Order: sequence, then C-alpha cells, then structure tokens
Amino acid sequence: MSTASREIVTLNNLRVVSRTRSLAYGITLMGMGLLEIVWYGSTDSKLHTVIQFGYNTATVWPVVSSIWKFILVFAGVGIIAAVVRVRAFPRLARIFATVRGTRTIALLIGAYLLIWPVLLWLGINHGGQLRTMSVDVAYTGYLFGCASIIVGGLTAWKRFDRSSSGILYGGLLVFLLGFLIWVARGSLDLQLTSILASAVAASTFLMFGSLSGTLCERSGVVNIAIEGQFMAGALSSIVFASAFHGTGISMTFALLFAGLFGAFFGWILAVMALRYQANQIIVGVVIVAFCTAMTQFLTTQVLDIHQNLDGSYGLPVWAIPGLSHIPLIGPILFDQNVLVFIGFAAVIIANFALFRTRWGLRVRSVGEKPIASETVGINVVHVRYGAVILGGFIAGVGGAGFTLGPGSPFTFGMTAGYGYIALAIMIFGRWRPYGALMASLLFGFTIALSANLNLYLTQLVIPQQFITALPYLITIAVVSGLVGRIRPPAADGVPFQRH
Amino acid sequence: MKLELRGITKRFGSLTANSNVSLVVNPGEIHCLLGENGAGKSTLMNILYGLITPDEGQILIDDEVVTIADPKDAVNHGIGMVHQHFMLIPVFSVADNVILGSEPVKPWPVIDYKAATTRLLELAKEYGFEIDDPNATVENLPIGAQQRVEILKALSHDASVLILDEPTAVLTPQETDAFMVILRSLKASGKSIIFITHKLREVLALADVITVMRLGEVVGVTTPAQTDERGLATMMVGRTVNFVVEKVPATPGDVVLEVRDLYVEDARGLTSVKNVSFEVRAGEILAVAGVQGNGQTELVEALTGMRHPSSGSIMLNDVNLAGQSVRHFLNAGVGHVPEDRQRYGLIPSLSISDNLVLDQLDDARFLRRFGRNLKAIKANGAKLRESFDIRSQSEEAPVGALSGGNQQKVVMARELSRELKILICSQPTRGLDVGSIEFMHRQIVDIRDSGVAVIIVSSELDEVVALGDRVAVLYDGEIQAIVPPTTSREEFGLLMAGAGAAKVTL
Repeated sequence: MSTASREIVTLNNLRVVSRTRSLAYGITLMGMGLLEIVWYGSTDSKLHTVIQFGYNTATVWPVVSSIWKFILVFAGVGIIAAVVRVRAFPRLARIFATVRGTRTIALLIGAYLLIWPVLLWLGINHGGQLRTMSVDVAYTGYLFGCASIIVGGLTAWKRFDRSSSGILYGGLLVFLLGFLIWVARGSLDLQLTSILASAVAASTFLMFGSLSGTLCERSGVVNIAIEGQFMAGALSSIVFASAFHGTGISMTFALLFAGLFGAFFGWILAVMALRYQANQIIVGVVIVAFCTAMTQFLTTQVLDIHQNLDGSYGLPVWAIPGLSHIPLIGPILFDQNVLVFIGFAAVIIANFALFRTRWGLRVRSVGEKPIASETVGINVVHVRYGAVILGGFIAGVGGAGFTLGPGSPFTFGMTAGYGYIALAIMIFGRWRPYGALMASLLFGFTIALSANLNLYLTQLVIPQQFITALPYLITIAVVSGLVGRIRPPAADGVPFQRH
Repeated sequence: MKLELRGITKRFGSLTANSNVSLVVNPGEIHCLLGENGAGKSTLMNILYGLITPDEGQILIDDEVVTIADPKDAVNHGIGMVHQHFMLIPVFSVADNVILGSEPVKPWPVIDYKAATTRLLELAKEYGFEIDDPNATVENLPIGAQQRVEILKALSHDASVLILDEPTAVLTPQETDAFMVILRSLKASGKSIIFITHKLREVLALADVITVMRLGEVVGVTTPAQTDERGLATMMVGRTVNFVVEKVPATPGDVVLEVRDLYVEDARGLTSVKNVSFEVRAGEILAVAGVQGNGQTELVEALTGMRHPSSGSIMLNDVNLAGQSVRHFLNAGVGHVPEDRQRYGLIPSLSISDNLVLDQLDDARFLRRFGRNLKAIKANGAKLRESFDIRSQSEEAPVGALSGGNQQKVVMARELSRELKILICSQPTRGLDVGSIEFMHRQIVDIRDSGVAVIIVSSELDEVVALGDRVAVLYDGEIQAIVPPTTSREEFGLLMAGAGAAKVTL
C-alpha cells in the first residue's frame, strides 16, 4: 500500500503539470482563433482562393457516388471513435500498446476518410476532371477561427491530460492552412498538393539526419557531426553519379558510396569519443569544420575545373502503382524520388530494430546506464561503435538527398545547417524514429512553406530573408518549448570508462 | 558450487585495497563479509565479479583455478551480483532488465518476449517472489521490488553464488525482514550467498560463516555461535568500541526554530515535503529518521535556504526565513553539515584553511584592504586543525586529499566556528569509520549542551536513537510522528513505512 500511495502522489503532480500546460495551450489556441477571425475574416468578402489539389500524376481521380461518400465518412468517424474510446476494444488496445505508431496511423487514416468525402461535397472533383476548389477567404477565416476558439476553450476548460499537445499542433496546422489561403487570395492559385509534396521531399535529408542522431544518442554518443556527414554524402554521391553516369551502374551505388563516406566520419567520431574519450561535442564540431573546409577545397580546386564531375543527376522518381492514385495523399507521399521511400523504410526498420530486437535493447541500455550493461556482459564500446558508424552511414545517405534528390550539382554550403536542425528534430521526436519522421515532415513543411511564400509574398512588406529564416526560428521555438519536458537517454554524451 | 579466493591483492597507487585476502564459500552457505567502509569488501567483490582485475591471487571454483576478466566470465561461471546501487536501467521494464545481456530471440534478432515473460514468472514462482507486472517500468517500483528484480536478474543467469553488496542499506526494517526470508529460501535451494554489510545485527541473524575485514585484510573468520555484536565490532574496528553515546538528559530552553505547514518541491517539480510542522528548542536534538529518499534532502535544503519552499514558514527566533537566500540563513545563525560533503560541504581542491572560512569571507577578521587576510585565514586554519584533530600534513593541504572522517571534521569545524542558533546535520556520519563517528557524535552532543538547537537527519536508525532527544519520522515527505528515542524498533519500522501501514508488502 505504501507504494500505491506514493505513485498516486506522483501521478497527481504530473497531472497538475500537464493541466497547467493544457490551460496554456487552450488559451494559445483561442488567441489564434481570434487572430484568424480578425485577420483573415476582415478580407474583402468577394475574394476567393483557388486551391489546387492536382500534382504530377496525370490520371483523373475516380468519381465517387454519394453512397460511397457516406460510407467513407462513416468509416472515418468509426475509426476515430475507436481510437479515442480504445478501452472498449481490448484487441485494438493491445495492438496500440505493443506496436508503436499504429495509433497515430489509425488516426490519420480515419481523418483522411473523413476529409476526402467532405472535400468532394465541397465540389473538388467535378466529374473526375477538375482538381481545384474555390474557397471564400473571409468565410474560411471565420470558420477556422470559430473552430479554433471552441477547441481551445474546451482544452483550457477540460484540461485534457495527454492529448493537449496533439490538439495544439492540429490547431497550428489549421492556422497555417488559413494563412496560406489568405496569402494566395485573389488571382494566384494555391498549389496545396504541390506544396505538401515538396514538403515531403524537403524533409528527406531531415528524416535521415534525425534518424542518425536518434541512433547515436540512443547509444549515448552525441553525433553533432551530422552536418559534416551530410556534406560528405552530398559531395561524394554526386561525384560518383557523375563519374559513372552512362556506364550502367545504378544510382543506388551512389547512395551506398555517400553512406560509406558518412560512416567514415561516424567512425572517426567513434574512435575519438570512445577510444580516446574526447569531448563528443568538440570532436563533432571539428568534423563539421573539417568537412566544410574540405568541401570548399574540392569545389574550387576540383569540381570547378572538372565540371563533368559535378553534374545534375537525379534519383529516379517512383509513382508507386495504386498508392500514388489515392486522391490527395497519393501524389504527396507515393509519387516521390527513391530516397524518400528509402527514408520511410529506414524509419520503420530502425524503429523495429530499436524497440523489438536484441541489438536495439542493447543500444538503448548502453545509452541509459552503460555500467549496468557491462555487468551483464555487454561490450559497451562495441555497441556504441556500431551505432555511431551506422548513424554516420544513414546521415551520409541523407546527404545525398541534397544533390541527387532534387538532381542538382553540389554547391558549397548547400547543407545550410540542416544537420543541426536534424538534431533539434531528434529532440522534438523524443529520440524515437517515428517521432523523428513526424517532426521531419513538420519541418519539411516549414521549409516548403518558406520557399513557396516567397512566391506569394512578392508584393508584401515582409522581407524574403525573414521568410527563409522561418525554419530556423521554428527550431529555436520548438527546442526551447520542450526543455525540461522530455527526457533524453540518461547517459547521452557521457563517456564510458572501465575501471 | 564451492568458491575460493586465494591470496588476492589489489593496489590502487599507494593504497592497498586488498592484501593477501583468502576466502572460502561452501555450497548452500550464507557467508557474511563484514567490515567498515573502506575495509576492501567492495573491491574484493568487484574482483570476483570481474569489474576489477587483481594484482595477485587466484579465484578457484570447485577447486579449479579460473580467470575472471570481465562480468561476462563471472556470469558464465555462475556468479551473480546484486550491487548496492542497483544495476538496473530505470526506464526499462522489469522484463527488459532481466533479459538484458541474454535475450531470448526468435526469430533472430527479434526478442521473444513471450518466452522471456514465461521464464521470468517461472523463476519468480520458484523462489517465491512476487512479480505483479513484468512490463512495469523499474523506476516506478519501490526500492524493495527493484531489489527483487535485481536478484531475479542474477538468478536468471543461473547464478549459483550470489553476491549481495549492502542490500539492506535502502530498506525499511520490515522490508529487511522480508528480504531475509528470501535469502533463506535461496539458501534452501542450494545457492551460496556472499552478504556484504556493516550491520552487526543482520550478520548475527543470517550468517553461517562470518569473515571480518579491516584495512584490506582478513582479520578473522567466525560464526554467529562463537561471537556477539561486541566481539564482531572489536574485530572490525581493532579496538573495543563504545556503542552508547554518553549524554546527559537534554535541558530544552526556548523555541529556536518553528516550522509551520512546510511544502517543498524537488527538482522535478514533485512535492516531496508535505505539510511538515515541528519546533526545535535550544539545547535539544531533534533527530529526523526515515528511509532514504522520503523528503529528507529537500527538507534540509529548505531549512538551510538552498531550496525555496512552495509554501509554509520557517521561523528562526520569530523571523520568517522562508524564501530568503542562503546568506540570510547563515547570518541568522543556521549551521549546516550537508549530506554530500564532497559536493556541497567542501571544495576539494582548496586547502583546509580556505575551506574553513568559505562562508565567512566577508567577516572583517578575514578581510584586508582589497583581498583576503591570508595570515588570519592561515592562523584560523591552524587553530581549528589543532582543536578538531584534523589529521593532515598541514593546514594548507588540499581537502580532497583527506580521509572522509577528516573531511567531515573540516565541515564541522567551519560550521561550529560561527555563532550558531541552530545546527543542521544531514547524514553526519555517512561513510565514516567508527573513530570518526564517535568524534562526530561527541561534537553534536557538546554543541547541544552549549545551548544550541540541533537537527540531525539520518537514515541509520541506530544513530537516530543514540543521538536524538526527540525523533521525527519522515515518510513520503510527511512527518508520521514525533516520538521519544526509547520507542521500540518495530514501531519505528512501522512509522518509517508510513504509520497507517500495519502490514507492509515487500
């Protein structure tokens, strides 16, 4: 009984903390709603924005009969209700509890089934031909604003313990959508699908980078050298691809080559940090400095002279048969270059490996309490070597996303600090592969947004540089907002020394 | 399995931690290894477990010489260890902790959790442990349950010799009793147990054979039948020990410190001191008892200004100090001997003299024009070194080079050299040798007799009973009761486990 009472006390304390948080979130949401009503709602009511849902998949979307729309909506509502009231479905609850990420995926599917027919009703399809929708800017502002205020009010009043962050992020997305509609008002079309697809593409290297960081830090080594591994991967992959272009050697080998370079710098970090127990942050920063200098040297002294080594070769773009024809999300998720799919696969594999396999258990144990791992006969240094080198490999492959992804030549400084943002994403994703994936998509969205806003905001007073700085500002806001709320691996960055 | 250590010697620089130590553990035997802190018990066991390599000597299992280079060898040879600081990963589940290092996989490399859980529950059943939920996170379990997980972990590696390093230090008296039952059942199933402790009572209750160590050497092997507490203590310390702290009854004066409705939050924002009220009078010792981690640290931090209470008052001579700075507390006459002297009590790299004036640097005596009055500081150091018998080369020696007992004397000397209204000592004798303990106790009683109010916080029940004029028992941040030190051990045990808990489930 002594235990029980102590646990209840702890729980109460945590609940108080999260309740204050949901109060703050609720008030923030209400503020955003008010802003939406005042700002977007005040737009001239004659103004409309045309949202484009089309992208590069040429096929016409299927015409859906009313019956099917109803069925889809019911299915969507059903799935969401089942997830929310999961306690009524023991088998489902067990799946959610054991397989990480299923809950989120189920929610997303439910939401999709709900949104798609609603959009069809609003007239998006026009007989399977048109994929545009015209919305009234002012009404959108009122609608989103009111919804935001109501949901925010509920959050503040009811003080949801767990789901408040999810509600806040949902609110933020709605706010951003409203903002986009407002920005594109009048003559320009809002290329929504295109923006989202480029968001996924832009998140590729972040996905790899944050996955690399997650692996390394789960094993207790801070890999701040991701930026350098990005550079190495970006440069080596394009040189490989250029050199072997036309010889029939697949681009896959360019990726492998990039990975090996990344792994090499991972190995250097591992040797310095594990064998010589140097300060991991300093070693990482030095590796980045070295890679910066090296890429600069190679660009000016080699690539500028032998320009055939720095060509424009992109990875093949795959439209996955079937999946890429799913309205809305098909072109966004399943009509991308190969690296995006490799990234998705890497996240899924890494998550499984970390949480279900022997290797993963050991990696996590040496990142939490290496002395405990050692007492059960685990070679801490070996496990860490493996994780850091693998992390370097992944970051190197991600680096290829800078050049081979969009199919552009290497330019000095093209990694632009995204290696560090990847670390922020890792924190935001709570040191979990799925979290890293979600956070990468979010950051990819801000990158795509800042690129696209430049298009719409030419006549606006906001300087372009400010918009470009948006992802970095969001990084600072996100990381500082999370301080103290999430727990890193306990032995993160702590050198391990045997007696 | 018969285990033998033969002529083990281990040196760390100039210090000889183990010198020619030999030890025989027979199958099905509870072998107690008794000795003071620093006697070399833990070093010896870490050698046996492969965490430290010995300079000389052999380890024999069933009369065959084996080499144990790392813990893996030890585990393979059937040696399991339950460390004093548990080697459990707090954020892992019970099952994950137990299987770590020997995970069942099917198909490779996926962990077969079903097999793992089955085996875990089977083991628990075999030895009569209660494991409610193999998926519970270890950090959420009470200490006693964590210890059982640690033992299960050793057993799951088919250990036939279990080394238990000070296992009862973190347990309440009732948990200790239940723990002893577990040990006996392990013994009955044929396991050998090496039990390391400095608590004489437990040794006599449990041991088949007792090996006593002092200063890295084995000074005697005996059995409970041949000896008693006094005999063991004499062997352990090397001279006759006076167990009783001599003190005259207290003559309490006016109330010096009055604490009302104190609530304190810990670093994680959890309320760890709740609704605490008490008063301390001049010339009396209030002892605060309780198992470690029940709010003692936060209480002391609040009473010394190191942590601001979230509500409540701390009235020192009718002035409320709650929320004031440490400087205010010092000026008001609060002396503090902190729990972690290395971290909060001293600056190890500074000299004894400097450490002795750390909190008095703005005292006119130690100031001279723009800097410190080095001559006065040195003289002060020399004087206190003399009167507190701080054993060192000179008063300019760095404090870090001193033994624990002498370090504690430096802290005590500094606090007592100020004009005090109240002295707060947290774990005043933790990790000290018996001689230093006697000295500390003498000092504490003397300062009480000079009319200062004293609070001591200790997790050693013997110390609490020996020193306190009144004893407050802290459980889960609340004072369960304030009782006289003559209260029975059983009652203390119940209070330390929460007064309402008539039955404690371990």
